[in-house]
Amino acid sequence: MAIHDLNQFLHDYFQAHECQIMENNNGRLTVKLTEEMDKALMNRPFYWHYIKGTGNPGVPMNLTLITNPEERDKKGEWIHFGSPRLQQILRHLRIHEKYTTQFQQVNASTNTALYPWLVTNVKISYIGKHKRDEIISVGLHLVNGQMKLEMMDKLREIPLQMQIADYCFTISPMIRLKSGFLRIEAVLDSYMENQPKEWAEESRKTLDEEIKLLDYFYTEEDDKEQKDKEIEEIRERYSPRITYEVINGGIFYLAEGAIQ
Amino acid sequence: MKPIDVQKDLSFIEQLETNLEKNGPFSGWELFSMAYEAERTMMNPAFSGLQAKKYLPHMNFLEHQESTAEQVIEQMNGRAILADEVGLGKTIEAGLILKEYMIRGQVKKALILAPASLVNQWVRELNEKFYIPAIAHRKNYNWDQYEVAVTSIDKAKRSPHREAILDMDYDLILIDEAHKLKNHKTKNYAFVRSLRKKYCLLLTATPVQNKLVEIFNLVSILKPGHLGNYESFRETYGKDGKDIAEDDYLKTLIQKVMVRNTRKDTSLRDTKRNIETIWVDFTLEEKQTYEYLDNQIRSFSGFSKITYLRELCSSREACYLSLKKLADENNIEDDLQPLLGAIEQLPHHAKAEKLIEVIKKIGDEKVIIFTEYRATQLYLQWMLKQHGITSVPFRGGFKSGKKDWMRQLFQNHAQVLIATEAGGEGINLQFCNYMINYDLPWNPMRLEQRIGRIHRYGQEKDVHIYNFAIRETIEEHVMKLLYEKINLFEQVIGHLDAILAELEIPDMEKEIQNIFSESASFGETKIKLDNLSAVIQNKQLEAENQKEQHYGNT
Repeated sequence: MAIHDLNQFLHDYFQAHECQIMENNNGRLTVKLTEEMDKALMNRPFYWHYIKGTGNPGVPMNLTLITNPEERDKKGEWIHFGSPRLQQILRHLRIHEKYTTQFQQVNASTNTALYPWLVTNVKISYIGKHKRDEIISVGLHLVNGQMKLEMMDKLREIPLQMQIADYCFTISPMIRLKSGFLRIEAVLDSYMENQPKEWAEESRKTLDEEIKLLDYFYTEEDDKEQKDKEIEEIRERYSPRITYEVINGGIFYLAEGAIQ
Repeated sequence: MKPIDVQKDLSFIEQLETNLEKNGPFSGWELFSMAYEAERTMMNPAFSGLQAKKYLPHMNFLEHQESTAEQVIEQMNGRAILADEVGLGKTIEAGLILKEYMIRGQVKKALILAPASLVNQWVRELNEKFYIPAIAHRKNYNWDQYEVAVTSIDKAKRSPHREAILDMDYDLILIDEAHKLKNHKTKNYAFVRSLRKKYCLLLTATPVQNKLVEIFNLVSILKPGHLGNYESFRETYGKDGKDIAEDDYLKTLIQKVMVRNTRKDTSLRDTKRNIETIWVDFTLEEKQTYEYLDNQIRSFSGFSKITYLRELCSSREACYLSLKKLADENNIEDDLQPLLGAIEQLPHHAKAEKLIEVIKKIGDEKVIIFTEYRATQLYLQWMLKQHGITSVPFRGGFKSGKKDWMRQLFQNHAQVLIATEAGGEGINLQFCNYMINYDLPWNPMRLEQRIGRIHRYGQEKDVHIYNFAIRETIEEHVMKLLYEKINLFEQVIGHLDAILAELEIPDMEKEIQNIFSESASFGETKIKLDNLSAVIQNKQLEAENQKEQHYGNT
C-alpha cells in the first residue's frame, strides 16, 4: 500500500476535503479549494485576516496540479514527490489524520455485535551509520487478545463508516487501551529482537575505531574540551538505536470473523 | 552484544484515549488510509541507495555525481572532501547528499559556509534544483530559526553570530572553497574545528596545492587522527613535501575521506573546447607609440614597466590612466607629457575593432569578454554600444545582489557580458558558450577559472574560446613561447596546478614578470621563457606516462 497514482491520490485527497473538482484531464487536476483548505495550503493568512475584518466571506483559490511531466510547462503547478506542494499536503495528512474510530457497515436485520480492535500503524527506524525504515500495521482484538499483522491491507477489504449501522451494537473491550498498546509494543520488541543486527554491530565497530583515532590524535591534555566534543559527535553519528513512531491508529469495531 | 537503545512512542495512545473521551476529532477512513499510504511512500526501506533521485525528477544527474553521493553517504559516513575538478558539479553532489540526508530524516539543521560572493548562488541552487529551503542569513534573525542557513565564514565567525552558531548542534556543515582552511593556525580554521557537527562536507577544486600538511589539516576537520597526529605526520611527510603519489599507504588513507573526479575519468558528455588565437596587428601609429613607451620606461624599475606595456596592449585608457597616476604621484608630469600626449592622440584600439568584427561574426550568440583592466572594460562597453551591441559589466567587487542581477540581465537581455575577473569563484554562465579572452592573465589558474565559468557541468554545446594577442608585443611572446607550447588552453589546468606546485612555482604571474623585467634583452627573455616551458612540458610528459594521480577516490 503506497501511492501508485499521484493524480488519483490528489483527486481523492481534495474530494475527501470537500473541494470541488473543476477539471481532471491528462494529468492536470484543477480544484476549487474550500476556505479550510485554502487556509491550510495557500499560505495567505493576511488575506483571510483582512477579508474577515471587512465582514465578507472571502474567495478560496483554485489550484491546478500537474502530475503529467509532459504537461508541466502549461499553466499550473507541476507536482511530484519532491515538490514542496506535495510535501505540504503529506505533512498536512500526517498531522491531521492520526486518530480514528470506524464501524463496519453491516446490513443487519437482527441485532449484531461489533468487536473492538485497536489498530496501530508503526514506523520502526533502524538508525546507525545508515538508516532504514519499516512500517508495521498491527491489529489487536480487545476482547480475545488475538493479534493480526498487515491490518491495513485487511481493513481495505471491509466497508467502513464513522457511525454505527442499524441493529448493531458494540462489545466493551476486555483489554484496556493502554495495556493493549503495550501488548503491541511487546510484539514489536520481540520481532525487532529477531531481526539481523549486523548494521548495529558495524556501527559500533566504526564508533570504536574512530574514538581510537582520536586518542591517537590528541596528545596534549589541554585539548580535552575539543576531544570531548568530537567523541560526542562520533557517538551521535554512529550509536545504533531504534525508534518506534506511531503513524496513526484507532479503534475499529468489526463483525465477528471479519478479519481472517 | 549490548542491547540496542529503543525509543518508544507513548504519546499516541494517550492522545487516542483523550480523543475517545471527548468523542473526537476523528479522521474519516479515506484520509486515514491516505496518511498511511503517504508514509509508506515516503519511507526508506533500505540502508543503502539514493532515495533522493525519486524526489528530484527534473534533475539529470551524471553517473559520477550519483556515485560520489552514494560513496560519501555509504562508505564515508557523511564526512568527506569533495574535490572534483572545476566544472564537474561539486555543488550538485553536495546538494544530492544533503537532500538524501534530509529525506531520510538524518539532517534537520544544516549550515553552509561559502564565500560571501557565492551565498546567493548556493541559496538559489539548493532551492531551485533540490527544493531544499535554504536561506541566506539576515540581520535580526536567530540562528536557531533556520533549517538550512547559508552565510560566509567571515560573518559566521564574528560576534554575536559566532557564539550563537557555536551553541548549535548542526547535523551537517558544508564548507565551500575549503582549501582556504588549509592553515591550522588561522582563526577560520579554529572556528570550523569548534563547530558541533554530525556530517561534514568540504568542497575544494584544488585539494593538494602545495604542502601535504594542508591536506592533513583538511582531513583533521573531518576525522582527527585519520592521518595520525600533527607531529607524526610532519615527521613522516612534512619535511621535503614528498609526493603523495609515491606513498601508497597515504594515498589509500586519503581516498577514504576524499572523492576526486577528473574530466578524464568522468562520463561528462565531453563538450569540446574550440580554441582559437586571434592575431591582431597594431596600426602604424599604435606600433610607434608602443615602441616609444617601451623606450621611455626602460629606466623604470621592475614590474611596473611590464604593466604599462600590457596595458597598452589592452586599451589606451588603461595605460593612460596608470601613467597619469604615476606622473601625478611623482611630480614627473613634464617628463611623461609627450608620452601621455602620444597615447591621447591614438585613434581606436586595433584589438577593440577586431573584437567588434569577431562578435559580429559570432552572430546572435551570447558572448563573455574577459579583460584584466577596468578602464578597458568601460571602453569596451562604450565601443560595443557604438556598434549597437548590448552589454553588461561584471566585476568581482560587485555586491552579491548586483552580481545576480547582472547575471540575469545578461541571460535575458544583453548579448555580451564584460568581466574584469572570473568573479572570483563560482558564477555559473553555462547558458553561454562563447568566450573572448580580450587579454590574457598570466596566471593559468585564473584562466582555468574563466573557462570554467562556461565549460562546466550543464554546458550542452561545444565551447568556443578566442584568445586575442597583438603581434610583435609582449603578448605575442607569452602566447607563442609559453602558452601555446605547454598547451595551456587545450587541457584542464588541474594537472598544471600540481606541476607548478611540484616545480615550486607558486605564482606563475610573478615568474613571467620576473623573466621580462630581469632580462637585459629580448634574446634573454626568449631563452628564459623557453626554459620555463620546457620544464613544464617535461613534467607534463612524466605525468602522462604515469597514470593520472588519484589522490582521491574515484
